[in-house]
Formats: sequence, C-alpha cells, structure tokens
Amino acid sequence: MNRATWLSYSLQDFVMFGPEVFLRLFARINQDLWPWLLLWPLAGLVLPWFGRQAAELPRRLAMALAGLAWIGCGYLFLVRYYGPVNWPATGFGWAFVVQGLLLLLMKGRALPAPMTWPVAVSWWLAILLLPWLSVLEMPDLWALALFGLAPGVTVAATVLLFAGQPSPLRWLLLALPLAWTLFSAATYWALGTFWLLGFPVATLVLLIVALRVNPSPAQNPGSQSARPGPGRQSP
Amino acid sequence: MLELSRRRFLIGVGLSGLAVASPRLIAAGSPTGEQSFHSRPIPSTGESVPAIGMGTWITFNVGGDQYLIDERTRVLETFLAQNGTVIDCSPMYGSAADVIGTGLDKLGAHDRIFAATKIWTSDGSETREQAATSERRWGIDRFDLLQVHNLLAWQEHLATLKEMKAEGRVRYIGITTSHGRRHRELARVMETEPLDFVQLTYNVLDREAEERLLPLARERDIAVIVNRPFQGGSLFRRFQSEPLPSWAAEAGVGSWAEFFLKFIISHPAVTCAIPATTSVEHMQENMGAMYGQLPDASQRRMMAEYVRQL
Repeated sequence: MNRATWLSYSLQDFVMFGPEVFLRLFARINQDLWPWLLLWPLAGLVLPWFGRQAAELPRRLAMALAGLAWIGCGYLFLVRYYGPVNWPATGFGWAFVVQGLLLLLMKGRALPAPMTWPVAVSWWLAILLLPWLSVLEMPDLWALALFGLAPGVTVAATVLLFAGQPSPLRWLLLALPLAWTLFSAATYWALGTFWLLGFPVATLVLLIVALRVNPSPAQNPGSQSARPGPGRQSP
Repeated sequence: MLELSRRRFLIGVGLSGLAVASPRLIAAGSPTGEQSFHSRPIPSTGESVPAIGMGTWITFNVGGDQYLIDERTRVLETFLAQNGTVIDCSPMYGSAADVIGTGLDKLGAHDRIFAATKIWTSDGSETREQAATSERRWGIDRFDLLQVHNLLAWQEHLATLKEMKAEGRVRYIGITTSHGRRHRELARVMETEPLDFVQLTYNVLDREAEERLLPLARERDIAVIVNRPFQGGSLFRRFQSEPLPSWAAEAGVGSWAEFFLKFIISHPAVTCAIPATTSVEHMQENMGAMYGQLPDASQRRMMAEYVRQL
C-alpha cells in the first residue's frame, strides 16, 4: 500500500469491537473472579504501608505486590478477556506478565528508598478513585476497574513506583506503561468512551507528580537523603 | 421484568400455535409477511442470492461474552427468519467467525446460509490453511465464497483460490476492498482475472464506484457485494434527525435504513449489500429494504441529491 492509502485510514478504522464489548470486559472479569478479585485492591491498599517502611523486606514485598498486579492484569484481563476481541491486547498482556516477573525478580532493588507521603497519597487516590471511571461509562458496580485486574488503574498507580527508580532502570520500567498509555488513549478515543480517557490522563499526571517528588539520583544527587553529607555542608 | 398477564399468555400460546403451523409466518415477523423479496443472480452461474446480506465487522466480535453471543444469535436468527442468507466475515474480525459458528450451531442453520469469508494474510502460501481454519470456526464443510481481503497478497491467494474452485473446495471466488481505497488496482484485477465476486464500498455518499467499478462488474459479469452501506453508521448519525423526503413512499422507502439500502440495491450492478448491526430491531429494518418497490433511476438521482442538500 502506498502512503496516500495509509493516510486515508482513521483511528476508528483500527478498532475492531464496539464500546459495549469493551466495557463489559470489566463486569465479566469481576463477576467471574468474585470474591477473589478483592485480593488485588486489598493488596493495592496495603502496598504503600509496606513501601513506606525503612526496613528492606517490606519494601521488597511492596514491589512483589506490584509485580503480581502486573501479572494478574496482563494475563487475566489482557490475554484472557481482552485479547480475543483485540489482538494487540494479547501482545500487551504478555508484555505485562514479563514486566511483572521483572518486578518480582528485582526484589528490594526496586524500591531504593521508602515511599514519600505525596507518593503514597497519590497511590491511594489512584486506586480508590480511578476505578469509578469505568462505572461512569457503564453504570454498573460490577464494572469497577480494579487495581491488579484493570490495566488503566494498575498502570496509573505503579508509574509512581517506577518513577522513583534511578535511570536508566526508571525508563526501562516506564517504557511499557507509556506505550500502553498511548495505545489505550487511542482506543478509548476511537471508541468514544471518553470517561476512560481519565486512565491515560491520570497516568501522565501521576508520572509528572512522581518525577517531581522523586527526581532521579543522577539528576539530583541530594535526593537520596534529606540531609546533605558532611563534606557538602556550607561553611 | 415483564409481567405475564393472562391476556399476554393467551396471545403467546396463540402465536406459538401459528408458528408451528406455518414457519413462514415467523419469517413474517418481517414487516412484509408473505411478500416476495428482492434477490439478484450471481452473473457467473445465474444462482440467486437475497439482495440484503449481513456483515459482521465489529458487530460479531464479542469474544467469550456469553450474553453478547446470545444477543448476536438473536440477530442472526432474525436475519435468517427474514430470508437472509449471505453472511460475510473475515479472519481479521477477531472472534466474529466463532460467534457466527456458535449461532449457526444453536439455530441448526449451517445449510441455510451463503457463507462468505476472506483470506487475510500476507503469507501467500497460507490460503488453504486459513480457509480450513475459517471452515472449522464456522462449523461448515466449505465456503460458498472466498475472497482475498483488501487485495492483500492477492496474486498468490487468487492463484490458490482458482485451484480450490477447480477442485470444488469453494464455489465462488473474489476480491475485496473497502472505504473506497485502491479502486484502480481493483479495476485492473477485475479486468484481467476470472472473478465471481468483488466487494467494495458504495453508499449514497461514497459513489466513486459508479464511475468505473460498477460498470466494469456488469461488463465482466462479476457479482458485487457492497460493504459499509451506512458508512460505518455515520449516515444515520448525520441524517436520522432529518425528515425523509416527501416523495420517499413513491420510491418504496419507509425509513432511513431503507433509504440507504434501497439506493444501493437498486443499482443494476449490485448483487447484495451487507449491513452490520448488533440490534434485532435494526436487523428487521435492514431486511425491510429487501421487500417492496425499489427506486428507479430518476428516483435514485433524487435520493443522492436530497442527502447532498441536507
């Protein structure tokens, strides 16, 4: 196909399912996994508590929980439910699983410092408020987009963790969330499910917040500690 | 929830009895009862097919959602009850082929359809394999029509399709395009290859096919399936709030669905239009276009002019 032919395609031409099919994915996965699905949002609620601890073990646990959320969301929502109606979702799903495994393998390295209060509060706001976006599109409580199952909420919350990593690990971990943000935003726009655009928008807002709160150690050597070292004290 | 009153119960029993006595009257859930419907001959054989078929792009791709699978089966049931036979799909349409297969199983309707799908792979050696996969998904032994999707690797696929037709593995072969793309290339294929069918986009606003492709199809005795008859639904979004023209009834048109569809199937080169829908009510409206008077050439010009002015 020549360039003119490619340019004649619109975003809508690439969407092969309707909004009802997509919105029902949230309700279907919640109904199928009830009541076990509650484990994921519960894990999401306690994660910042682990993440704020000074000891290394709880912080390892926080990152492991995030890894499990990515695996659950990737395999269950994307591969099993979304993939049959949208083949790129299957590819994303397996990539989510790989990223989740990576987070599990990284252990304590993944959270180099305790979560700050602004990050923890942002996290809680994300997993408590964002799930309602899908209910605004499909007025049914079963349609809640839960952390650990729904990719929009999972990605938006966990970018807060990834942004706290030193470069280049930070950007390695952020590559997939950013790709998903772009892909999902295009999908929601084409479907006309405008409330769901709140997921990618929230992801970008939270990323900016996290980058400001956790500047990379390479950019700001003092960020690892609130107190300057003795050799750097002003005379 | 619906309350079952005595009156409703008696009406239901009565209708059930009628249905057993005359399945044709169920088809008469159609707006037109026992009227004859518009069909068109396939030029290469003279076999007739109903002038309205069913597309499945987007609408039948519902994955494993049992509720929506049942809903689509009702749409399929309505289509068949109103004398529809031509069902068109593609491997590109996600789970649509599986949903069609499930619906046909449930309705026991595999032998009541004209099964059309496409070959959609850039690997020119996968024609037979993909056709076999589609047969399995639909639950049929062979397709009536296999088409090369959007001219993708068409030389290789068409060569294999010609072999398959000679072997009796498929009854008709063809090639498709959509959205008005690559018409020049499609015309070249139509001029040089022995096609039974082409599929293209044609509707009251997208009329480029009238210039070259539709006359060429008549000249070369090629049947024409028309996709995107409602321009992906945008014709309804643009015009549904507008009144039908005062002369609509004279042209046999009672709704906007009939307006758009009758404009298409009244073109002498068109064999069949394939609107897609998720709604039983819309399917009934669509199939209504297969009945009653069709607009003549001057009325078709008035139809095109009317929407242009809107």
